[in-house]
Amino acid sequence: MLEVRNLVKHFGGVRAVDGLDFKIQQGEVFGLIGPNGSGKSTTVNLVCGVFAPTDGEILLDGIDLGAIAPHNRVDAGVARTFQNIRLFSELTVWQNLWVAWRDQPGQEQGWVSNWFGRSPARRQEIQKLLEFSGLGDKADHLAGNLAFGEQRRLELARAMASKPKLILLDEPAAGMNSAEIKDLCQRVLAMKEMGMTVLLVEHVMELVMNVTDRITVLNFGKPIAQGTPIEIQNNKLVQEAYFGSAENAHGGVS
Amino acid sequence: MDMLQTSIDGLMIGSTYALLGLSFALVFGIMRRINLAFGACLLFGASLAIYLEPILGWGAWGLFFVTIVGVALASAYVERLCFAPHSKRHGAVTAMIASFAVWMQLDEISSQLLPQRTHAFQGIEVPNLWWGEVFVRGDQLLHFVIALVSILVLYLLLYKTRLGLLIRATADSPETAHLLGARVPWLGFIIFLLAGILGGLAAFMILSADGYVTPLFGLWSTFKGLIAMIIGGVGSLTGAVIGGLILGLVETHAGAVLGAEFRDMVTFGLVFLVLIIRPGGLMGVKIYRTDSLAQERV
Repeated sequence: MLEVRNLVKHFGGVRAVDGLDFKIQQGEVFGLIGPNGSGKSTTVNLVCGVFAPTDGEILLDGIDLGAIAPHNRVDAGVARTFQNIRLFSELTVWQNLWVAWRDQPGQEQGWVSNWFGRSPARRQEIQKLLEFSGLGDKADHLAGNLAFGEQRRLELARAMASKPKLILLDEPAAGMNSAEIKDLCQRVLAMKEMGMTVLLVEHVMELVMNVTDRITVLNFGKPIAQGTPIEIQNNKLVQEAYFGSAENAHGGVS
Repeated sequence: MDMLQTSIDGLMIGSTYALLGLSFALVFGIMRRINLAFGACLLFGASLAIYLEPILGWGAWGLFFVTIVGVALASAYVERLCFAPHSKRHGAVTAMIASFAVWMQLDEISSQLLPQRTHAFQGIEVPNLWWGEVFVRGDQLLHFVIALVSILVLYLLLYKTRLGLLIRATADSPETAHLLGARVPWLGFIIFLLAGILGGLAAFMILSADGYVTPLFGLWSTFKGLIAMIIGGVGSLTGAVIGGLILGLVETHAGAVLGAEFRDMVTFGLVFLVLIIRPGGLMGVKIYRTDSLAQERV
């Protein structure tokens, strides 16, 4: 469903992403991992339109995303969460979802309820999403007043609110404790069960290894390995990228 | 009794200042931009209305509609020309200077439309009211009601509709709103259009209450709008309304007690005091946050 072909992004002389190829299948949780500065977040930003690629193509169901403006990519079916939480802190939880909301294809409401958002069926849908995110009783709280874990869950819910074909999770476990990570694992697996396609960029291996179907490992903007979590764990190149090779283990660059 | 009479006069005038302040607060509170050409837009709308009056022959209502449409168009023009191309973080100063240039341009167009210094500006005829000893000008009462209704409509638009929610989300974080599918450039255009409509309403009310228009009206209305916003709280919509009403009350009371020549002195003294005691304005408790948001805007 998502096909990235020979993706290149240069910032001045820095090759943040340097010839990246991968394909994500429908209903798959796809992991993108790599050391700091390997180009993971840049890839997410390229897919959702923060930057334009220097070269290469990003196809979603055969449609070239490069030709679509960032605000139209949501309608094209791409949604994301942010590494540093970016909720509208002055708006309520409910409103945060409503900003991003798109009706399920085939169940679109008329313009009156689009203007005022008052259709009962839609309210029920939003409430359902809130319950799924464990925020059922917090609909009218200001997003800025939520606890950290709740804010992360709200970001996830907000990404789901636009009924995307593909959800980009940009380091969703950053700053979480191990209980919260376990909870997040459950959530991502539940999303997969609901048929969603996920691109997960993450450092926290506990999450990546437990939820992904396939993984691509990046180093210096280039893919160095691809495979299932087990294959990746046993891959020598990956171990070198993360821990350095045996030769420079002493006194090498950490 | 005099106090009551003066206060009522002050509220009537203050309601038009509130609209001027709201226009500024909309643009600053949501876009974090100052439109220096605001007064020039108002002058342009009024000049266009006077210029077209003999051609259209619609009388006071013609002036009313043409002023509003003219100001809204000028405001939209300023947005497209000065603010839309400089919507990025570093564009704040560039956009403000560009709007200064358009101020000159609109001023020039206005003086081409109205070659004389003073032109009569007809108002809507409404019978005056005597309420015991208290006198209320009919047209000013009408203006007061129009101002209240437009403030109410703006409130409903911003707080009860999806468009308003997207606008508020954009005010909170334009970049995030953009990535969530809000058409941020288009919303900026809508904001300027709304500010133009409010400004046009205010221009019609002030000019028809005075009965004439001069080329100085542009700068004058920029001042009144900015002062209303500064007193009320920079970027706060409620603050701008309250600031406008306070400005009207202070002006008329100062004029009645100390004489007309002290009126502006007292007003500027008030601004001075507010800036020293509460730099963010009366409702502007979040001034520092507002500041940091201005830096964040991309």
